[in-house]
Amino acid sequence: MDILARIQAASITAPCLAPQHHHKHLQQLCFPMSTGHHFSCFYMHQNHFPVAMPGHPCRIPSGSIRCQSGAVEAPEMQDVKFSKSMLSFDMGKDRLSKVPASQIRNFSIIAHIDHGKSTLADKLLQVTGTVSDREMKEQFLDNMDLERERGITIKLQAARMRYVAKDGEPYCLNLIDTPGHVDFSYEVSRSLAACEGALLVVDASQGVEAQTLANVYLALENNLEIIPVLNKIDLPGADPERVRNEIEEIVGLDCSEAIFCSAKEGIGIQEILESIVAKVPPPKDTSMNPLRALIFDSYYDPYRGVIVYFRVVDGSIKIHDKIQFMASGKEYEVDELGVLSPGQMQVNELFAGEVGYLAASIRSVADARVGDTITSSANKAGMALSGYQEAVPMVFCGLFPVDADQFGELREALEKLQLNDAALKYEPESSSAMGFGFRCGFLGLLHMEIVQERLEREYGLNLITTAPSVVYRVQCADNTVVECSNPCELPEPGKRVWIEEPFIEMITPKEYIGTLMELAQERRGEFKEMKYITESRASVIYILPLAEMVGDFFDQLKSRSKGYASMEYSLSGYRKSDLVRLDILINGEPMDPLAAIVHKDKAFAVGRALTQKLKELIPRQMFKIPIQAAIGTRVIASESISAMRKDVLAKCYGGDISRKKKLLKKQAEGKKRMKSVGRVEVPQDAFMAVLRLEKEVV
Amino acid sequence: MEMDPGTFDKQTLKQFLGLGVNRVSLGVQSFNEDFLKACGRSHGLQDVYEALDIITGLNVSNWSLDLISSLPHQTLEHWEECLREAIGLSPAHVSVYDLQIEEGTKFGVWYKPGHHPLPDEDKSASFYRLASSLLREAGYEHYEISNYAKPGFQCRHNMVYWKNQPYYGFGLGATSYFNGKRFSRPRKLKGYADFVELCINQSSDNFSANEEYLSFYSNTVESVEDRVCDTIMLSLRLASGLNLNELSKNFGHELRVHICKSFLPFINSGHAVAVDSKFKTVPPDTFSTALSEQSASKVLKDVIFIRLTDPDGFLLSNEIISSLFTDLPIK
Repeated sequence: MDILARIQAASITAPCLAPQHHHKHLQQLCFPMSTGHHFSCFYMHQNHFPVAMPGHPCRIPSGSIRCQSGAVEAPEMQDVKFSKSMLSFDMGKDRLSKVPASQIRNFSIIAHIDHGKSTLADKLLQVTGTVSDREMKEQFLDNMDLERERGITIKLQAARMRYVAKDGEPYCLNLIDTPGHVDFSYEVSRSLAACEGALLVVDASQGVEAQTLANVYLALENNLEIIPVLNKIDLPGADPERVRNEIEEIVGLDCSEAIFCSAKEGIGIQEILESIVAKVPPPKDTSMNPLRALIFDSYYDPYRGVIVYFRVVDGSIKIHDKIQFMASGKEYEVDELGVLSPGQMQVNELFAGEVGYLAASIRSVADARVGDTITSSANKAGMALSGYQEAVPMVFCGLFPVDADQFGELREALEKLQLNDAALKYEPESSSAMGFGFRCGFLGLLHMEIVQERLEREYGLNLITTAPSVVYRVQCADNTVVECSNPCELPEPGKRVWIEEPFIEMITPKEYIGTLMELAQERRGEFKEMKYITESRASVIYILPLAEMVGDFFDQLKSRSKGYASMEYSLSGYRKSDLVRLDILINGEPMDPLAAIVHKDKAFAVGRALTQKLKELIPRQMFKIPIQAAIGTRVIASESISAMRKDVLAKCYGGDISRKKKLLKKQAEGKKRMKSVGRVEVPQDAFMAVLRLEKEVV
Repeated sequence: MEMDPGTFDKQTLKQFLGLGVNRVSLGVQSFNEDFLKACGRSHGLQDVYEALDIITGLNVSNWSLDLISSLPHQTLEHWEECLREAIGLSPAHVSVYDLQIEEGTKFGVWYKPGHHPLPDEDKSASFYRLASSLLREAGYEHYEISNYAKPGFQCRHNMVYWKNQPYYGFGLGATSYFNGKRFSRPRKLKGYADFVELCINQSSDNFSANEEYLSFYSNTVESVEDRVCDTIMLSLRLASGLNLNELSKNFGHELRVHICKSFLPFINSGHAVAVDSKFKTVPPDTFSTALSEQSASKVLKDVIFIRLTDPDGFLLSNEIISSLFTDLPIK
């Protein structure tokens, strides 16, 4: 795999019909946001906005950590279980105390969706007393509402726990979250780079899934110590022995010491904690070196500026230190420093091996991007930590407000989102039919869906989106190479020699091979190989153009496999394709938002489908309207809407006048809502329907 | 007076004439027994001819005849027969309406506009064109979208509506239009009685309270936008069209120029024509050049009327009027 491919390597799962109620509202999206809430929703930062929690104010002044224990009521019952949790709570309340680097363990959890990552994370926090049972319940409920309301998944950035191991020593355990989706695989790799170990959680009844594999490989590339955990052993269908063998065979991991666990029932939790202490290597004590800290996440807080989550790799960082971000070169003074446990708690200093957050009145996340290295202005490190990549948009589409008056609001909303999402790119775009809007670039499809969803839900915008496009590379006659993501900007046929498009390699387990093959075959897919991992488990690998996946591929995969197919894909590079630009003309006027770059073999079918749909949806007007699909000047499909023959109110007398006027005014209102393409008025919903169809057929 | 065949005899009509009735509008609808049944009329063809005998027998020369087109299963041949029969009877005035399918009526349940057995839009348009050409050939002037008259026999009653002039209406649910207000009387008998009583009581001692009460039944004074819309939609029903001089007198010169601009595409497409003070058609080229130049005012001053063409413009009048509404500069 080349570097680009590695960055993209991750996975997508299709089982969106997961029985998790909090996903309900997401099913309307084109595919599941499988990354979802890795841990249960409680204590987490919705959209990165800190959630204030009773007893866990987000901003606890440094040294005031004791106020937290005060928030817990004295036990009234002498219940054994209760006192046990109180015991662990006593342990937890000291979690800000400094421990030597040799007693720090930084780890993450790798799991397929539904394999129990959230439950396990909750349990670890509970058992170590980081969160009390009472808080757990309250918070869980609160955040459920929040999540339902906001519609976007929640993720935990990090949680610091204190655990006194059987050897009697107190350990500081940092659980670092990883976003699990392919669009964010770069962030996954940064999160993993901040750890020394990972728990590989596999459902003991289901076995290893494609998504898990991708992340395991990422973890192995980052030299993480992997601890296999077989979860849900309490379920009747659990077969931990079989799954253990499977992990050994597929991943090549020694599973002789795999932990059998049921996070739900609390079985094996202690063993997991002990195993983390015993097996995950401590960070190197490099406190004496110049500061280097790796940013693994960041979000924009309207009051404090960007909040940066980082892992101190070398040296130490203190409040009021002057720091520099090595990739962006920006300098700031640390206003606030702290740890996440899981709420933000302020501390004065953090040392090599520790994980924390800082605020420094940073105006945009673009100044402190994930993967960047923080160093000290006074004592700069010679070299940044490796692996920093600027996010490159892979998928583009046009976003236009349905109501032209909302253009200003859309721009403001995009500006705000970008403060928090450095990967989002946008530039103004205008078209005769759609008015003013923006051409936006996204990391991938999920990212695109999330941004659209947030713009509509959080900013109350009503948007029209054009069919998504990938980035094409055009070899021009003058020997230059032009990158093009907007069909309207594709160089003229005479000026180009060939067009290359991005291809992906797609892997799916054998169960879904039939579905996938059928789908891939329809979409210019090319069968590469069938890999037998074990006798019963095989994967099939297909090469297909990314452009074929940006439409309704996941919807199709999901519906054809009743919601269960899973697959992963990675970018495999650019290849020449026989591509053309298909224009749609209404009454001779090109309809820019409908222009598409399509494979020559599909152009005819796409052209016919679109012209037919437009004929169906555009009402008759006072003149005949030709509707054409054309490649250059060559018309490949055409339809026409005959002229309106008759639209007249026969009677109009006395008392009738007001009523007839109302009718005519209503008709006039309808016209105002239409988009005009040249002289032709196209109803808004016709536009939307054709754009929807285009997403399916292109 | 509106009269339906089969609802009066010679004696009745004679008495009406004695009371001063000077015009009869006869709701014939069709000269085909099947279509009469289809459009739910209680009278038959026999009733139609009897009624006509009564009218002509009493020497009523100012009489009108109503016809309905676009009936279920109607063909162009049927319609032509019907029109020729009407012309043969030589009424002073003919009204031709399209069957209007209203939701919530039996017709609305049975038929969907434009779908079999109702004629489609194209056929329905050809009925309209045929009526227009046959009646005009026979000497009738197509003076309003649905109305034809021999010279001097335009319906004076309805012209009041179309010229947007004030009028009084009496009786249940009747509308009046005066002082720029549209006013509609109570629709039910009980409410109507109360209303009349109140009017009597109030008018004797306190006139202003009466006004207030009346305003309860009326819309407030129509807004400028409403008046402009009324003027456009009503005047364009007439062959004479929109009087631009009156328009600028009532609403200002700017609106005149604005409306002329809105009309341009329809004038270019032949759905409307501009007419000058000598009642000559202003060629579309001249009109459009005048609009594009700064010296527009002189030529535009000379354009006195803009009217819809017959039958092309009339047939698409809703589309044209609603486009003009969309373009109006008023909120």
